Amino acid sequence: MALWSRTKSLWRSWFRRRAVEADLDDEVRTFIELTADEKIARGSTPVEARRAALAEIGGAERLKQSVRDQRAGTALDSVAQDLRFGIHQVVQSPAFAATLIATLTLSIGISATVFSVLYAMVIRPLPYRGVSRIVALDTRSASGSPQSASYPEYLDWRRMAHSFTALAGLTQQTVGLEAGSGPLALREIQGTDNFFDVFGVNPILGRTFAPGEDQNGRNDIAVLSYEVWQQDFGGRASVVGQTIHLDGNRYTVIGVMPAGFRFPINAINAVYAPLHLAPNQRDNRGNHWLRTVARLKPGVTARQAEADLDTIFTQLGKNDEFNAGRIVHAVDLTTWVVGDTANSLRLLLCAVLAVLVIGCVNEAGLLLARGVRREREIALRSALGARRGRIVRQLVTEALVFAALGAAGGVALAYGLLNLIRMLLIASLSRGAEVSINVPVLAAALVISVAVTLVAALIPALRLSGIAPTMALKSGGGAGTSRGQHRLRTGFVVTQVALALTLLVVSGLLLDMLSRLRSASLGFRPDHLLTAEIDLPHGRYQGRNVLADFYQPLMDRVAALPGVRAVGLIQMLPVQGWGWNSEHIHIYGTAPLRNPRTDPAEVRFVSQGYYQVFQDALIEGRLLDPRLDKPTTRVVCVVNQAFVKKFIPSGRDPVGMEIGDNDQTQTMPDQDNPRILIVGVVKNIRQSIYQPPFPEMDYLIAQIPPAESMNATGSMHLVIRTAVAPSSLVPALHHAFMQVDPTVPLRQPQTMDAVIADVLTFERLENWLFGAFAALAVLLAVVGLYGLLSHEVELSTREIGIRLALGATRGTIVQGIFRRVAWMVGIGVAIGLALTAAAQRFIGSVVAVRAERNASLIAALVLGLLAAGLLATALPALRASGIEPIEALRDE
Amino acid sequence: MTGNSTNLLQGTLDLLILKALVTGELHGLGVSRRIEQMTRGTFLVKPGSLFPALHRMEENGWLTSFWGESENRRRAKYYRLTKAGERQLGQETTEWQKIALAMTHALKTS
Repeated sequence: MALWSRTKSLWRSWFRRRAVEADLDDEVRTFIELTADEKIARGSTPVEARRAALAEIGGAERLKQSVRDQRAGTALDSVAQDLRFGIHQVVQSPAFAATLIATLTLSIGISATVFSVLYAMVIRPLPYRGVSRIVALDTRSASGSPQSASYPEYLDWRRMAHSFTALAGLTQQTVGLEAGSGPLALREIQGTDNFFDVFGVNPILGRTFAPGEDQNGRNDIAVLSYEVWQQDFGGRASVVGQTIHLDGNRYTVIGVMPAGFRFPINAINAVYAPLHLAPNQRDNRGNHWLRTVARLKPGVTARQAEADLDTIFTQLGKNDEFNAGRIVHAVDLTTWVVGDTANSLRLLLCAVLAVLVIGCVNEAGLLLARGVRREREIALRSALGARRGRIVRQLVTEALVFAALGAAGGVALAYGLLNLIRMLLIASLSRGAEVSINVPVLAAALVISVAVTLVAALIPALRLSGIAPTMALKSGGGAGTSRGQHRLRTGFVVTQVALALTLLVVSGLLLDMLSRLRSASLGFRPDHLLTAEIDLPHGRYQGRNVLADFYQPLMDRVAALPGVRAVGLIQMLPVQGWGWNSEHIHIYGTAPLRNPRTDPAEVRFVSQGYYQVFQDALIEGRLLDPRLDKPTTRVVCVVNQAFVKKFIPSGRDPVGMEIGDNDQTQTMPDQDNPRILIVGVVKNIRQSIYQPPFPEMDYLIAQIPPAESMNATGSMHLVIRTAVAPSSLVPALHHAFMQVDPTVPLRQPQTMDAVIADVLTFERLENWLFGAFAALAVLLAVVGLYGLLSHEVELSTREIGIRLALGATRGTIVQGIFRRVAWMVGIGVAIGLALTAAAQRFIGSVVAVRAERNASLIAALVLGLLAAGLLATALPALRASGIEPIEALRDE
Repeated sequence: MTGNSTNLLQGTLDLLILKALVTGELHGLGVSRRIEQMTRGTFLVKPGSLFPALHRMEENGWLTSFWGESENRRRAKYYRLTKAGERQLGQETTEWQKIALAMTHALKTS
């Protein structure tokens, strides 16, 4: 009952405030009138009676207030008052408020965003059942270079291994799905019949592969990924059983996978089909192309599985040359997917935390300084009778106003930044598309920074409300000068400088690395260069002469386009791809290499135009020439400088030497002469942007026998050197494709500059983030430094006044301030350098830090930070030197 | 208001207000006059104490209020005991009698 009537009263006093007030007015007025009536009845005049009645209630307003105080809503009322006062404070001191709110916004927004990205890429579990039991088999040849399985080997492994519930093989390629509007490029994952058993994910429609369905004749079936089902088949359930055409072949759709299922994880727009083996793939033990992934049996560890496979390799190695000494690593899938980026991402995570810490320190510093400044105001309130709880509540409410504004800004910033990142930067990271804001982390960032704000507001509040007001009022100039406070402020300055410096140096090193990578000698000019990937449909071109039927007509058409200087073909685009290599290099007339397998050479199939596109390549001998080098003539190649350096003894002329290349003689059987003749030497053109040039042998595609041409050159890169802006040629290029064969799916052509930028995406992302962090950290540190120092000067106004009065010069005062700042910043720098050294362990795995090269960079950054610190000191120091002793003392 | 008045003991006011309302609803001034009458002029309740007490007791659910017309045709706010108010009166009366007895006893012994 009491509860109910109180609630009713609360409701009334809050939401029917006006009615309640009117009621009270009426009640008091009636009381006065009734009292006056009484007096008139006893013989007073109306005027007298009224005056006496008013006197009796002793002030209508005070009476009403004493009634209001009894109401349930009073406490809330005073909160609203505090709130209004808090907002008033924000409006009154805009600079302080803006600094505090911006600090909160930036530290919450940025840390939540970056953490969300990290979570999506590193921490979030992969979308498979029992991920910890899935391993990718990283198989390598005895020399340590990556070597997938051949199909016959895979069958042996699968038959002999005891460690797996499923051991599956897969390969992927781009296929064209025939749709109404022309071919759509899809990713086709071809797997063995047990492919889906590895992942333990059930289809949402239909079924997956049945045992034996990877055999020819039964394998024209397909399982759609959710995206493809939604985008290209309208999400219709009737798609199961429907026939689709991939590269001109008929497939029956048997199932649809749920949203989120993807393997490999970066295969978007995927369609899954059983293996379709060419005879060469089915039977050739030396043809290594099949990637393997497996699910461990319960209780079997990855190490045990490796031992199991090692035994199998040894056994098989007795009969074949490939398995002897084979190395396998069973890499758990999470590591495999996250891969090399994990360390960089951890580094970023540390940076995020550093920024959050700097932000919090800044907030705390600002609020503490402000608390000290308001000591007098609070003492006055307390002297006028404000209770301790009331003062604390007021300060906390004010802090909450700041915190709420900052938090709102932080959330908005986080969402905005994430959209930006999604749009610009991480399209090519393997799990990039699925990044969304991580709500627990956003909440954590909010809680941390709001909690810091509250604590920082509460400390002065509690301390001050406990002080006897007379003390605080009297001691005036002594406010905030206690030793503990001083030490705290010094600590804040040092922390900020240290963290800011660490971020600066790390980002400086990363930026330096990026600029080195970008400007690394590529061996060609990347401007005015357009590239386009071509994947010929297997169904349509298998067994045909692809050069004569497709590439040559295409190149002829492209060469005739206005603005085209040269056009060529290569199967692996420089900078972008490498690893297509040959391991059995032997140069006739030289001592055989000790272990021919440890020294592979990259193999490239090129058209004659390739060298014109990549310009001025020839160093010695001649280039490949279709007029001289025909399918019927002797197989020749040109080699690069790295090849000469590696395989040809110095002083001997490589031109005219002969190579025994076992791998290539399989592709290019020349009955008359198995030896390959070197006809020329070309300059190094970088295969990988991260590594020095590899040895390379280039063959002319015209020399590939037509029967093999699809295997070797079914997937090529068209490269075009242009006289005009390369992207302006794209429409004409599309047109040329359509004219030659409209069924070939054309991927979006890219300029070489864009290709390089894409390769460096992660570096760019990392640098962009680090750059942003460092800039933010320095900004925050400078703002914090400025705030704390001007506060320091303000507090010591009286002291400075006294010293000036006692004869100190203004120069000494300014000097003193600068000396103190230099000390604080100096200690900060020392700690920051120590932190950087610790961070190097991380960085070392990301960037090769070369001390002699980076020492000057680090020195420059340190000096820059020192300068920023001193700049932040300048204004307060100037103010200190302007203090008039008389005023400073009178002020008290 | 003249005459010798005794300061009200803490907690006595509530009891007096409850008692004053037993006989029926009264407006503010009526409560004040009724108390004066009941205590034979010993306690004069001033509006500054009366109104906060009335509002507090209403919030506690012991009283309800409504607008009515006074004897001299003025619109006035009337208070009336609730069931909870009656119970409260019973409790406080018992309590008070204990205290009064104890005080009387204490003052008699010497």
